[in-house]
Amino acid sequence: MKNPILYVIILLFMISMLTACSQKDRQALVVEEYLTALVAKDSTRLTTLTCSDWTPSALNELNSFQAVTASLQDMSCRITGVEDEWTLVVCSGDIVTSYNGENQEIDLSVRTYQVVFEGGEFLICGCR
Amino acid sequence: MTLILVLISLVVALIFGLMPITRTRLPVLLGLSILAIFAFQPALPVRYLDFWLPTTSITIAVASWAFTLESKKNWARDDWLTVAIIVGMILVLGLNRYLQNSLPFTASRPPNILQITSAIFLSSIVVITVYLVTKKNGKWPIIAIGLILLIFLILKIPVLSYWVSFFLHKLTDQYSGAVSADDVRWLGFSYIAFRLIHTIRDYQAGRLPQVTLAEYVVYIIFFPTLTAGPIDRIERFILDLRQPFRLSSDDLVEAGRRLALGLFKKFVVADALALIALNGINAWQVRTAGWAWILLYAYTFQIFFDFCGYTDIAIGMGRLLGFKLPENFNQPYLKPNLTQFWNNWHMTLTQWFRAYYFNPLTRALRSWNRALPVPLVILIAQTTTMVLIGLWHGINGNFILWGLWHGLGLFIHNRWSEWTRPHFAKLSFPWQRVIQGGGIFLTFHYVALGWAFFSLPNPSSSWHILLKLFGFV
Repeated sequence: MKNPILYVIILLFMISMLTACSQKDRQALVVEEYLTALVAKDSTRLTTLTCSDWTPSALNELNSFQAVTASLQDMSCRITGVEDEWTLVVCSGDIVTSYNGENQEIDLSVRTYQVVFEGGEFLICGCR
Repeated sequence: MTLILVLISLVVALIFGLMPITRTRLPVLLGLSILAIFAFQPALPVRYLDFWLPTTSITIAVASWAFTLESKKNWARDDWLTVAIIVGMILVLGLNRYLQNSLPFTASRPPNILQITSAIFLSSIVVITVYLVTKKNGKWPIIAIGLILLIFLILKIPVLSYWVSFFLHKLTDQYSGAVSADDVRWLGFSYIAFRLIHTIRDYQAGRLPQVTLAEYVVYIIFFPTLTAGPIDRIERFILDLRQPFRLSSDDLVEAGRRLALGLFKKFVVADALALIALNGINAWQVRTAGWAWILLYAYTFQIFFDFCGYTDIAIGMGRLLGFKLPENFNQPYLKPNLTQFWNNWHMTLTQWFRAYYFNPLTRALRSWNRALPVPLVILIAQTTTMVLIGLWHGINGNFILWGLWHGLGLFIHNRWSEWTRPHFAKLSFPWQRVIQGGGIFLTFHYVALGWAFFSLPNPSSSWHILLKLFGFV
């Protein structure tokens, strides 16, 4: 049974090395996860990515996608600034919605997401 | 469980089966089962709950083993190494949090490492307390089983699970306006509870074999049987676990056969039937008795192929890993009476209830100072057993009605069979076959009509569909 301990230690070391390879800030990743959950109509995921004040708005936004098929196109998010406790994140790319054969593209860059650090997590807490 | 998860599990089981491992078989199975219990847990709307629930399952398993350790002997070196593996794996899964593209072993982002180490520390306190304080006799087994049943009740009673979810939402500072009774979905707990109660009761009765911590935890969270059984007995399970295993061509062929059958039954037949099976919406939309029967028959076969399919997949996967898991179904819809139906439907569940509820209750009722008539004893035992089985599926009026439907049916069959047995034996063989055929027809339809309670959300829907079936509405 000595070998299993060695495997776990090696696995721990590898994971630690992988964590050092992170190329994107967590705030930007949270917004990407939010948009992914939005187009997937995944309310379960959405509520864990938003602060309690913003969750009702996020769920309303998710409801607006219920009747359409939605997907993300060339999405990429980055931090653009910091304002008080908010980190501002802007995304490029589009949400492509489809209804009855008609496609519509929603430009992601028109929105700036406000990300706050709360309870040990970065959470989306508004947008402009 | 989704098809993707099933296929990944199959590949993992096949790789494991083909690997020439002997000494590390147990720790590898332990590692795989720990990974699986986290990977299979679906995402939940309460932050981190999909990490804490599997962690709690493992903690409960370890605590239960500590509780059942005979004469509270010292832990062996291997048991300490098992603890190290379990803690190590939970920490590794927790480190998943810090990966940009997280590995698919957890449903969502795990808590931070400080919270996880605190939880591990608290769990250790719980396990050590259980080990030092509890005893085999007296109130401790009752308290242990009571706690397991309490968790079960919280998960199954909508009002309780709603308030638990509300409390958890407040704890994690999440929006509580979207709280639902369905938020706390604890993967596999129903089956884990059965295995825990089985080991605790057997420990109390002095029947529990001595097992190491690794053997016990693998038994409790064995990944092929985590979500849908079968409910194996630990003494049978560890016989397979302790056998040196090398995947033979026979194992491969039999496993392949069961897996192919299971995948076809579940993901082709059952999922196709689900499109027209009776549900809470179409029960009110159906217009004619003919279509009502079609919906009912579709549900009758959908539930069978769904469940039977999962069992075939579990048995096939178990075979790849070196386990000959017990069967759960044996052509139940072709049985000539309700007693035989229940001896051949979800057999491991009925065996569990027979061993840990029906037989002890019957013995207790018959040994009362005031002797109850035998038919009354049978009536009480059968109806309460079936109502409990119904409640295990869900705590609402319809599952109680379903349990009563089957409990009373079993009692009626018991009395009928007592009365007709001498007469049946005098009949010629052809007539016996005719009666048997009639029995199969009646039993099938009795069970099918019972699904009208099981499949629908409330008694009014069930009553409506029953009236529709016979043309009264």
